[in-house]
Amino acid sequence: MNFPKPAVGMLPNDRLDYSAITTRKPLKLPKGARLVVWTITNVEEWDPTQTMPRTVLTPPAGGSPMPDIPNWCWHEYGNRVGFWRLLQVYDDFKIPGVMNINGVAVKAYPDVVKACVDRNWEFIGHGYTQRNMQKVENERTDIRKSAEVLEEATGKRPRGWLGPGLTETWETPDILAEEGYDYVADWVLDDQPVWMKTRGKPILNIPYTQECNDVAMMLIQHHRASEFYERAMDQFEQIYRDAKGSARVMAISVHPYIMGAPHRVKYFRKIYEKIRKKRDVLFWTGSQIADWYTKVGPKPA
Amino acid sequence: MPMHPRERLAFSPIEGRPLLKFPKGIRLVIWPVLALEEWDMSRPMARMVISPPQGQPMLPDHPNWSWHEYGMRVGFWRLQTMMLKLGISPTVTLNARVCETYPTVVKACTDHGWELNAHGYDQVPMHKLDDQRAVIMKSMDVIEKFSGKRPRGWFGPGLTQTFDTLDYLSEAGVEYIGDWVLDDEPVMLKTTHKPVVALPYNFEIHDIVMMALQHLPSDQWHSRALDHFRTLYEESTERPKVMAMACHPYLSGVPHRIGHVERTFAELLAHDGVVAWDGAKILDWYLAARK
Repeated sequence: MNFPKPAVGMLPNDRLDYSAITTRKPLKLPKGARLVVWTITNVEEWDPTQTMPRTVLTPPAGGSPMPDIPNWCWHEYGNRVGFWRLLQVYDDFKIPGVMNINGVAVKAYPDVVKACVDRNWEFIGHGYTQRNMQKVENERTDIRKSAEVLEEATGKRPRGWLGPGLTETWETPDILAEEGYDYVADWVLDDQPVWMKTRGKPILNIPYTQECNDVAMMLIQHHRASEFYERAMDQFEQIYRDAKGSARVMAISVHPYIMGAPHRVKYFRKIYEKIRKKRDVLFWTGSQIADWYTKVGPKPA
Repeated sequence: MPMHPRERLAFSPIEGRPLLKFPKGIRLVIWPVLALEEWDMSRPMARMVISPPQGQPMLPDHPNWSWHEYGMRVGFWRLQTMMLKLGISPTVTLNARVCETYPTVVKACTDHGWELNAHGYDQVPMHKLDDQRAVIMKSMDVIEKFSGKRPRGWFGPGLTQTFDTLDYLSEAGVEYIGDWVLDDEPVMLKTTHKPVVALPYNFEIHDIVMMALQHLPSDQWHSRALDHFRTLYEESTERPKVMAMACHPYLSGVPHRIGHVERTFAELLAHDGVVAWDGAKILDWYLAARK
């Protein structure tokens, strides 16, 4: 390929070569398990003096008025009320939580953070604010600040990263590796973890999801709430089938202001009612997936 | 005085708050909201059901103006029949100008004793007004003059506000708003005058959001509302719950949706401990219960 190289950072194929999933050495999970499901909860704080990242109600005749109080309230509902409904599902089914949280949200929602710390959830970096990584003033400062805030609040430095809206610059994986992150989930390009080159030590990418994700399904594709369950099950059944012989990873991603709404939460719950009992399915955090793959998977090139 | 939303209301998780109580026998209150709007034909229409060929909005926009007008000529009367049949007294939130342009519709509401709530003067976002304070006062005055009662509640057009809107609302005598959809319980918002109560309104059991923006099938009115209700009803064994449902005549009053709207209200109200109250009644309950 002859794409011009960026001045800083790398093109995707310089970080990892193409590889067909069928040609790889089989990956084995402990105790004969076929696949790992990890569930990510995204908590954001929206700055009411900026344009809202998403909207549920647009103003009469359109446009993006500033301030946008109604849509700010929409996300705030998620953290006042919706999150606590999701938490009940995690508790009922003993799902290890992954809290993907903006740095600023840690201070804004201390009760949410405490509930997760009390349950020993894994916290991963999600940008200091809910802004495109290409638009933050200084990417490294943002990534570092995110880690510092999480370390202060939880006592542990985050090992994982998921950029706001999965956005990256050409350099993001390099900075993440340099700042001490072990894995990233922005590259939705495989059903198994993959090693990516950086200018320093390699970083692991863990399979995430764009489409078993409530933002895409409910806000962009405008499906009815039951589609969240239907699609997750379709996805699960196929990946489960694919995992015969070589392990796979499936992600489910939710936001409190979307799946925490009273008319949606039952479809989130229903997924775990269905899949939690399966003996050959593991429910892990991102770090558990990273540690397992680092141990049993191919070594980075 | 412009205030950051958190200066008006600090963050608080719903769990662990002092418990509010409904009167004995009630666990969930339905808040039916019926919105009446004035779409000025000299401006782009508030919403669109059909876009012109090649997509560029044109003025005047006859087809979409007619869409809304159908709601006032036909749809409203279907919703009225439904409300009367089910014994529901909704909050009618109206652009004050509707008193001037559709007096028969407003008169029908006041004849039934329905609560009138101010929804601005025209269906225009608050951001676009040159003098918000004057328009708020005018909206309240026009409705008071027409009906003999000053509205106690307010919804901004599209729920829009600027950082100082609440202060003007309080000054004009507004006691509660539906614009802050951020909790399942009423909350008290600080203003430079008297505090204003934000009642728990709803974004997604709302016909504009469901039908005009999310483009869901008509039967989602029923199935989404039922899903929503079941969760709140279960939670209402622990804390009182309010469930708002928003209807616009041009959306909920059309032939292919009204049946779904009607069976939704009928099925919810058939549950034990479920009643329909208007905004003023919810406000009075909250003010007494929080003491």
